[in-house]
Amino acid sequence: MANLLWLQGGACSGNTMSFLNAEEPSACDLVTDFGINVLWQPSLGLELGDNVKAILEKCVSGEIPLDIFVFEGTVVNAPNGTGEWNRFCGRPMKLWAQELAAAAQFVVAIGDCATWGGIPATAPNPSESQGLQFLKRQRGGALGAGFTSKAGLPVINIPGCPAHPDWVTQILVAVATGRAGDLSLDELQRPKTFFSSFTQTGCTRNMHFAYKVSATAFGQRKGCLFYDLGCRGPMTHSPCNRILWNRVSSKTRAGMPCMGCTEPEFPFFDLAPGTVFKTQTVMGVPKDLPEGVDKKGYVKLTAAAKGAAPAWAEDDIFVV
Amino acid sequence: MPGALNKDPALAEREAYVARYGVAPSEADHATLLRMIEDQLKEGLKTMVEPFPETDREFAAIIDTLRPLGADQLREKLVISGWLLKPYGEEEMRCQECMYFLVHKRWCDLPELSLPAEPDWWCRLWRI
Repeated sequence: MANLLWLQGGACSGNTMSFLNAEEPSACDLVTDFGINVLWQPSLGLELGDNVKAILEKCVSGEIPLDIFVFEGTVVNAPNGTGEWNRFCGRPMKLWAQELAAAAQFVVAIGDCATWGGIPATAPNPSESQGLQFLKRQRGGALGAGFTSKAGLPVINIPGCPAHPDWVTQILVAVATGRAGDLSLDELQRPKTFFSSFTQTGCTRNMHFAYKVSATAFGQRKGCLFYDLGCRGPMTHSPCNRILWNRVSSKTRAGMPCMGCTEPEFPFFDLAPGTVFKTQTVMGVPKDLPEGVDKKGYVKLTAAAKGAAPAWAEDDIFVV
Repeated sequence: MPGALNKDPALAEREAYVARYGVAPSEADHATLLRMIEDQLKEGLKTMVEPFPETDREFAAIIDTLRPLGADQLREKLVISGWLLKPYGEEEMRCQECMYFLVHKRWCDLPELSLPAEPDWWCRLWRI
């Protein structure tokens, strides 16, 4: 039995909604098959008001052993570092987050807001939002760069806007069943099993990427979305095209560019007008090239790929 | 000739194409459209090769100018896009490497242009 407590800071509840749609395993499987005891969760908990507060206090004091503390949403510090803009159970949520994190065996940040600050932390960041252990790519966050939970791990970051439901439940199962030691985290504390490959890995448009054929409008089934429509698939770490959404599709498969939501910089370019769904270029060359590719190599690759492209690459091959 | 003076320029342009090629650009086949482009540029049509859009804002501004044009306003499309019948610049930029160029169809797939093109041509909407 592993006790799990889930709280929301500056959040839209999107990650809770995602979590409740998990299939492999489902949220119910966590309880029935993997021995997770959900102490409280904003959309599932039955307790209200003082009864929730009592649970939190018992977790902080150690009366209830807290095995997994899940946090969704940003840690809100406004105004002026007090956190009063986000009060919960009689005090700023940031204080609960700090005390519960210190009491927990494992701390898991779910979604971009809890990991890096996400959309709320976009400049000018009026809510003074932070992630648990990062603010965008900068280490630190609400818990500090040196934080480790009782089990000795830093915050386990599962980013995404939202995080895929199965990323969440699979990591929770690993932790709850004593296999946290098997988790290998990258430099941004993301589980490598999910975040070493790219969104592009498994994308059905890879042939169009290879032959430099561009999609020029949303929803087109031919063409790569990277060249014109701002797709960040080649430089975003996520398994969105390996572990499909709703088991059937992904953004890029549906003709929608990847927005890079598992990376700390999301939303990119601070949402300046003209930067969303448009590949940013300098003198016609993309500002952000596929990871590990330099401009010279990119130009050479393009020339070779265009020269070698077969005729079918220019057609819609996904014919109904 | 007050009627001629007041004629819609787009309509006048269409009629000029029909008079010369027997067909308007919107109805022309690939080869005829290609010839229309070549003829105009070889006959001295000056296009807006510069300024090259260095940023996406500048690129978008050109696209916004092109978007309302009808398919028969071929000359305006060529002028605004800075169309050339040769590569451009020290790096010899050309359609062949542009992401909008469909190599086999010999076609510029940028929706606001949607015109036949040759690998060694170029326009300032070039992107790689």
